[in-house]
Amino acid sequence: MGPLSREAWAQRLAAFRTSPSAFMAGPEGEDLGRDLLSDLRSEKLSEQTKVSLLVLSLEYPVQLWPDAPAAEVAATSLLDTLVLLPPRLSALRRLLLLAATTALVAGGALGPTSGASCRLLPLLLGLASGSDLGPGFGPTSEQRSLQATACECLRELESCKPGLLGGALGVLRGLLGQAGPVQPLSLLLALALRNTLVVQSQAGAGLRGLLMAGASPTRGGSWDWSLVEEGDAHLQPQAPSWPAAEEGERGLAALEPSPEEARELRAAVAQLLDTTYLLTPVAQAQLLWLLGWALRGLQGQPPALFKPQLVRLLGTAQLTLLHAVLALKAAFGEALFTAQDEALLLRRLTLAAQHPALPLPTHLFYLHCLLSFPENWPLGLEGEEAAPLLLRPQLCHGLLPSLLHDPMALLARLHLLCLLCAEDEEEEEKGLVQSPRGSLEELMAGLQQRAALDQGPRALATLCFQASYLVARCLAGQPMVLTPLIHGLAQLYRARPVLAPHFVDLLDQVGPELGEPLRVLLRQEVVSRPGRDEALRWHLQMLAKVADGSAQSATLSFLQAAAAHCTGWDLQQALLRVCRALLQAGGGDGLADLLQALARQLEDPDGRDHARLYYILLAHLAGPKLGVALAPSLTAPALASSLVAENQGFAAALMVQEAPAPIRLSVGSREIKGPLPVLQLQVEALEPIYSLELRFRVEGQIYAPLESVHMPCLCPGRPARRLLLPLQPRRPAPAQLDVHALYTTPSGLTCHAHLPPLTVNFSDLFLPFPHPPEGAGPGFFEELWHSCLPEGAESRVWCPLGPQGLKPLVSHHLEPFVVVAQPPTSYCVAIRLPPNSRLLLRLEAAQQDGVPVALRTDDWAVLPLAGDYLRGLSAAV
Amino acid sequence: MAQRAVWLISHEPRTALCGTVRFSRRYPTVEKRARVFNGASYVSIPEDGPFLKALLFELRLLDNDKDFVESRDSCSRINKTSIYRLPIGGEELWPVVAFLKSGMIYACVPLVEQTLSPRPPLISISGISQGFELLFGIQDFLYSGQKNDTELSTKLSQLPDLLLQACPFGTILDANLQNSLDNIHFASVTQPQKQPAWKAGTYKGKPQVFISITEKVKSMQYDKQDIADTWQVVGTVTCKCDLEGIMPNVTISLSLPTNGSPLQDVLVHPCVTSLDSAILTSSSIDAMDDSAFSGPYKFPFTPPLESFNLCYYTSQVPVPPILGFYQVKEEETQLRITINLKLHESVKNNFEFCEAHIPFYNRGPITHLEYKVSFGQLEVFKEKSFLVWIIGQKFPKSMEINLSGTVTFGAMNHEKQPFDPICIGGTAYLKLHFRILDYTLTGCYADQHSVQVFASGKPKISAHRKLISSDYYIWNSKAPAPVTYG
Repeated sequence: MGPLSREAWAQRLAAFRTSPSAFMAGPEGEDLGRDLLSDLRSEKLSEQTKVSLLVLSLEYPVQLWPDAPAAEVAATSLLDTLVLLPPRLSALRRLLLLAATTALVAGGALGPTSGASCRLLPLLLGLASGSDLGPGFGPTSEQRSLQATACECLRELESCKPGLLGGALGVLRGLLGQAGPVQPLSLLLALALRNTLVVQSQAGAGLRGLLMAGASPTRGGSWDWSLVEEGDAHLQPQAPSWPAAEEGERGLAALEPSPEEARELRAAVAQLLDTTYLLTPVAQAQLLWLLGWALRGLQGQPPALFKPQLVRLLGTAQLTLLHAVLALKAAFGEALFTAQDEALLLRRLTLAAQHPALPLPTHLFYLHCLLSFPENWPLGLEGEEAAPLLLRPQLCHGLLPSLLHDPMALLARLHLLCLLCAEDEEEEEKGLVQSPRGSLEELMAGLQQRAALDQGPRALATLCFQASYLVARCLAGQPMVLTPLIHGLAQLYRARPVLAPHFVDLLDQVGPELGEPLRVLLRQEVVSRPGRDEALRWHLQMLAKVADGSAQSATLSFLQAAAAHCTGWDLQQALLRVCRALLQAGGGDGLADLLQALARQLEDPDGRDHARLYYILLAHLAGPKLGVALAPSLTAPALASSLVAENQGFAAALMVQEAPAPIRLSVGSREIKGPLPVLQLQVEALEPIYSLELRFRVEGQIYAPLESVHMPCLCPGRPARRLLLPLQPRRPAPAQLDVHALYTTPSGLTCHAHLPPLTVNFSDLFLPFPHPPEGAGPGFFEELWHSCLPEGAESRVWCPLGPQGLKPLVSHHLEPFVVVAQPPTSYCVAIRLPPNSRLLLRLEAAQQDGVPVALRTDDWAVLPLAGDYLRGLSAAV
Repeated sequence: MAQRAVWLISHEPRTALCGTVRFSRRYPTVEKRARVFNGASYVSIPEDGPFLKALLFELRLLDNDKDFVESRDSCSRINKTSIYRLPIGGEELWPVVAFLKSGMIYACVPLVEQTLSPRPPLISISGISQGFELLFGIQDFLYSGQKNDTELSTKLSQLPDLLLQACPFGTILDANLQNSLDNIHFASVTQPQKQPAWKAGTYKGKPQVFISITEKVKSMQYDKQDIADTWQVVGTVTCKCDLEGIMPNVTISLSLPTNGSPLQDVLVHPCVTSLDSAILTSSSIDAMDDSAFSGPYKFPFTPPLESFNLCYYTSQVPVPPILGFYQVKEEETQLRITINLKLHESVKNNFEFCEAHIPFYNRGPITHLEYKVSFGQLEVFKEKSFLVWIIGQKFPKSMEINLSGTVTFGAMNHEKQPFDPICIGGTAYLKLHFRILDYTLTGCYADQHSVQVFASGKPKISAHRKLISSDYYIWNSKAPAPVTYG
């Protein structure tokens, strides 16, 4: 495809700029970077169009060439284009240098293995040195501008790869001394010097004579990368943040320059400082930040070098310069600023914060600086805004807030005023026209008056509440300030109930010192004026926030009166939200009546349902549980919508929660009583639980469904409780019981736990026959024995005996069922197996290690179970 | 110290978006560093569309503020500086330096060379003041001498090229964009080595020095026992030095007459090479005493090519030039107003113009007016509920003039009579507008003979002075009025 026309490019660039991401996702996105590079060499495009292409590449290299290989290719192509330019004056040369630098850095391709980097760096250094690179690099008239540009490019590369120019320090210093544009060289040298100091101190190495003129970064024809730390992790802040500066100090302290090196360094810094007045103010500031942080904590480098600059800097109106002085103050503290100097700086700052010739954003920034002033001997906590010790109230007279100020200025000055009031409590300042507290009260009253204006913009109300919040936060412990503020706010609500959302927000944000009394006043304010006015919805919103258990009768009568006017769905919901708040606070008799009335009276069915639900909750749930039922769930993340939040609260409280087993359940010894087999269970609590309900399910439905067992409460540490579980077998067979527990925790939540299954053994089902009269036993047994056949089954089983012999075995396991006993040789045993089976055993002629057992049953299915049972008996002893 | 991006947005109320991005510039190499420095707390620079929306919302410049919106209106979201955090796509972009001036929003995002959580204090971020300076520079360039929208458009179209000069990689080289513009033009000239970076070339031509002292006087007068009236003079000394040579040295001395009011709070241009400590410490913060330094105030400097503000000062003159009272009494359906103005005898009674503007806020249009003036004439703007008392060039011999009358108002219409948050109830003011040429209230003057120039050729020196009013309010003494301090 041939080069695009000027118009086509203009269109394409405009489309790209509208939304770069959308353009790159589109069909043309992929080719843009490639087309741009190739069209830069097209002879058909005007220089102006090419400039616009390069400007685009300066801004969006990552979109055009997203990875390192692409960036490398792009930079190479840009450098090739540069070489191919005709020798006349061209706007492209400078841009190509900027573009190649940007592409390499932004694409992450800068490094010793990158061919483009290895071409670009010597080229830039050559240009910066003012060496004659031949006619290909433009006419002499362009050299000066290219020299500056090359310095800028090198500075950017050094910023992104600290140490890159460590080897060039000597060259740069030499250049600064002779010819060359002062500003670009100064900034470049300062940055390279600073980075080298940091890199070398981290490596534990000295300056190694790097500052000596003549040292060149190109050793044997290739660039010296030895000082460049690998990876981005070593990127150096050019102006580290202040608290973190301690680390920097430790880092640089490791560097102990030799006396000779220290002298060289001092000379270089002095050389840089001497020519600062030739730099633009912003560049001067950059230089001071760099040098200040370079020399901080470095041995043998007294900060007095900066002193000659300070008076000049303190006098200027320039934001960057005063800021740089503050940076020096933070870096050197007492070493550079005596107490008197500190006082002077503070005064200059105070006056700059209010000087009528400076714009508002500057004032505000200086005010911030004042409250974060780097004091020589700070008293407060690091990072917390506070008025500096030397800033006496007299100095701040001009910084007091007034209603005429812009909102931001007002808040900033108000903050200062609050800090002064906080100090004022300790020592009453004399000689002031007005005490800080007086000014504060007056201001707050004015703000409240303005916020109370009908039709006033919301910003005025917001400002009033922000100011109230600020005062409440700074002066929480001062009732002298808070009381008038609270009354003023209550008055404001009376004048403009439409501000209810602001009040709710304020109550959410402030501490109890302001919040509690304000709550009470606002509640009184609302309930004292029942009515049907437009403000009703605001009153209800307010009341939902401030209603609690106290003075409920007034609240209820207000709600009763309001209910008649709540015609729409939203008003009814607002009304119900108040009821809900009262419910949460514990309810009360009057509330039940009101809810009942609402459940009948409200027009909207949704409202009626809600009222009924609340009524049911109130009637059925005890206080703590009610609170939990209505409170927002703690486990679920809070969602923005109140509907969802409300629903979640319910869901948590009213739905059953899964929980681990709160009790341990075991089968105890048997006790035979009554017409049914009864399982005796032992219940042991692991945590306090209430209203326990145990549910049992028999696997395979071989018993009739089991009744649930209820227990009112269980506490750990108490003796285990006995539980009797009657079984109704449908077949005489052992079974597994599946057990579930449903219970309430002390916090009111209903929980469900699945317990380990319980086993019902075959022998647990055994029941005795009614005892025959004395002497009739043998006959009774024989009758039973014969009745089993022919439907039933007969078998013989060898029942092994333990060392104790037969008698203990029988007495331990079969005692209740023995009908005829001739100890120690023979026993006749008759067992009833519900629902209606029998098992008869004859144990006769016991031998050394066992006894033969003849058994008969009328249910053949019992035989294998009986066999297993008998064979297992000896082991079970 | 670098900037990650810069924007210029025109604020257009009552349009769909309420604004348009007029210019934006991103710095990808700085962004690369931001990604490393900020680490996990890094938030990328958004595209123009989302940025515009978020910024306008944060600055409360979207038209819709009818409902309470917590993210904007919550009492705990307090901004005390022009530095904002913008919620964009679930993240918060910080710090965004932004301010609105004459319908244009200037914004930039400085690089913070550390992690952003916890947020470092603003004072520790060098890029903040650099960002401000860049934005002020753009603002000065756009509005210096600009008179209409076409000129603004022309200047806006020059911005991309200018920033390429003044801020090629996001680190500002010169906040004076006019200088950068000159630099482009001077680029072909071979410059000598010690050329200051803030001076694009050298002047060739007749040597001359212009010095202009402009004093603005502001005042708040209450005519009340318990509130003190305040007034203050703010002076600006502007210079233009057309002198040959690379670094001509100039010293300008400002002098005061014997009874003149000392200059205080002096702020100087960075080209001033040294400053007497007496000037540096003379401040309005301190209580005045007789020993106050009263000049001459010497300012040695090396001038830039363009016109510049050599210094600013303030001063406390003993009396306000015009003392007045304003009384407004509410009488059933009308207001009865009484105004008295008195020119102080020491003030030069020769105005370029002098007017008293008397607005009536939060009321309907004027339906009826009866008045009597002792001097000058009254213009009535009924629809705007606004009176202008044109006093003219001179006060009468008595130096005292007055106006009295009754005003009746119709029903208020919010469209036509705008809301004012200050003038509630009886609170009302009148504002004086006047200008006196060849006069300063402090008496400060630049003596032509005291101007020393160390350059080839004897320059022609011309000095001008003027006094103008600025925020000169006289409040209704019969109602509460907002108090200012200082």
